[in-house]
Amino acid sequence: MSPSRVALALLVALLATLPFTATPYWLHVGIVVLINVAYTASVYAVLRMGYLSFGHAGYIALGAYATVVLTTKFGVSPWIGMLAGGALAALFGWLLGAVTLGLRGIYFSLAIFAFGEIVNAVFRAFDWFGGPAGLAGVPRPEFLGTKLESHASFYSLVLVIVGLSLLALYRLQHTHFGFTLLAFKTADTEKLAQSVGIDAARYKTACFTVSCFIAGLVGAVHAHYLNFVSPSIFTLFYSTDLVIFAMVGGIGNFWGPVLGAALLTALGEQLFSVGYWKSLVYASILMIVIIGLPGGLLDLPKTVRGWFARRPRTDAAS
Amino acid sequence: MTAQLLLQGLAIGVVNGILYVLTALGLTLIYGILHIVNFAHGEVFMLGAMGVYYLYVIGKIPLVVALALIVLLAMVSGLLVERAFFRRLRGQWLQLVVASVGISLIVQSLSWIVFGAQEKHVPSILPGVVEWAGVRMPRERLLAAAVSLLLVAGLYWFVQRTRTGLAMRAIEEDEETARMLGVDADRVAALAVGLGFVLAALGGAFVAPIYSLNPGMGLEAIIMCFIIVIIGGLGSITGTLLAGLLIGVLQSVGAIALGSEAAQVLVFVAMIAVLVLRPAGLLGKA
Repeated sequence: MSPSRVALALLVALLATLPFTATPYWLHVGIVVLINVAYTASVYAVLRMGYLSFGHAGYIALGAYATVVLTTKFGVSPWIGMLAGGALAALFGWLLGAVTLGLRGIYFSLAIFAFGEIVNAVFRAFDWFGGPAGLAGVPRPEFLGTKLESHASFYSLVLVIVGLSLLALYRLQHTHFGFTLLAFKTADTEKLAQSVGIDAARYKTACFTVSCFIAGLVGAVHAHYLNFVSPSIFTLFYSTDLVIFAMVGGIGNFWGPVLGAALLTALGEQLFSVGYWKSLVYASILMIVIIGLPGGLLDLPKTVRGWFARRPRTDAAS
Repeated sequence: MTAQLLLQGLAIGVVNGILYVLTALGLTLIYGILHIVNFAHGEVFMLGAMGVYYLYVIGKIPLVVALALIVLLAMVSGLLVERAFFRRLRGQWLQLVVASVGISLIVQSLSWIVFGAQEKHVPSILPGVVEWAGVRMPRERLLAAAVSLLLVAGLYWFVQRTRTGLAMRAIEEDEETARMLGVDADRVAALAVGLGFVLAALGGAFVAPIYSLNPGMGLEAIIMCFIIVIIGGLGSITGTLLAGLLIGVLQSVGAIALGSEAAQVLVFVAMIAVLVLRPAGLLGKA
């Protein structure tokens, strides 16, 4: 086993022991961190093929509202509700992906951004969805006859679902399919891929659908954790936070966004109860990283080594 | 819906549309040169409106002097932002866009902390209502729209008829060639960002007496501007003007017919439809 695998195994073991050792407060932090890590990984899945989503909160909201409506209005089991949440987000991801993934760069970002705003406006507009106040009284799922009301039990559920989601995304990115997606980063390489018979539109839509499924599934879990949903949770700011997490961690490989989401979410939960300060700190860290550390935190070891290495005096700009 | 109501909706829509256009033009100007959508644009709009409140209402500075100060501050901050962030990230669209989001979040959260959440009001500068053929329109909105239209005409003249405008169009067309022919691309880009910021700040300043002000107003403005520049065609001045009018009318008539929430959704759907069917926008270059 390679050292990184050993480290990963140790980390998973540590996370698995938390329900028996950590206080409810730290389990709460763990739950929020894991949820944001999964969201950010789903944003990264699309970002790594060159598509920046400014509307993932819309898919998260679809998943959350789907399970809330099914469980509170129709008495459906939360387990079915959560799967339905993922499925609904995937369906909308597939539909919208099919028509917008032909766009490049900022045009795609703005289309997805508009979609996120539409989802938010619709949930806000209809009283049946609870309007601006949202819907409360969302039940926790039951497992082997006990409701997952305690922090420890719900943390375990989140750990399993987020773990499986990350595993799925990681495996997907390290298959032939996943490597092919890297060809769509620029219009030129996409044409090249198409010239050897790769159906770019189908590949991109499939990837986007998977990303939306995970956003929706975890969004549903999120709603069961909070016991309510409201349109003011899943706003544009949630979407931009996820992008910030990914950029701060570094979008060079799978672990950068995971690292960024974990560190910034844990920091945000610790220090701030008022939204403005949190957003100020997140954005300031983002700007420092973008200017000073272009590869994100992933590149920190390399950059620090660079400071101590003997630097040849050259004009970097030329 | 009676004909009278429809006419009133149309008139409000046209005037509101013109008020959006000024800010949207700043956005399209920056896009034309740097190929980035500047998310921080809405915050400049908000700061322009806040500037009128703090300089004119609180500071009792004469309105014309206050506006001149706002223009100066907007230009300087545009130049600074270009130099500090945009120039370093030229050619990396992802980093540029995310950086502009970061700047927007910093300015907005600082504004909530500094200005507070309390709504601010600028007293009417030109009270009264004009009535014509049964359509009523506050004088103030008419004035703001007229001044905006003048500025749009001025910008059009600047881009089409001056040497600097020519340099901007050259860079938009083909930056490599323009550089080879001696155009100082960095200077032109800095100027474009500065001008874009000035337009956004003035757009905010002109609506200060019309809307109530809070640090979140920039977000609403930037969303409308995105929609307008996408529908009009990023980089096109006439397209932006046309789309501004279209969206203004769609929003006000839609609000009368279906309610304001539904009208907002309608506007977003129009944007996605244009993106999918004609990504370059109505008048943009394909």
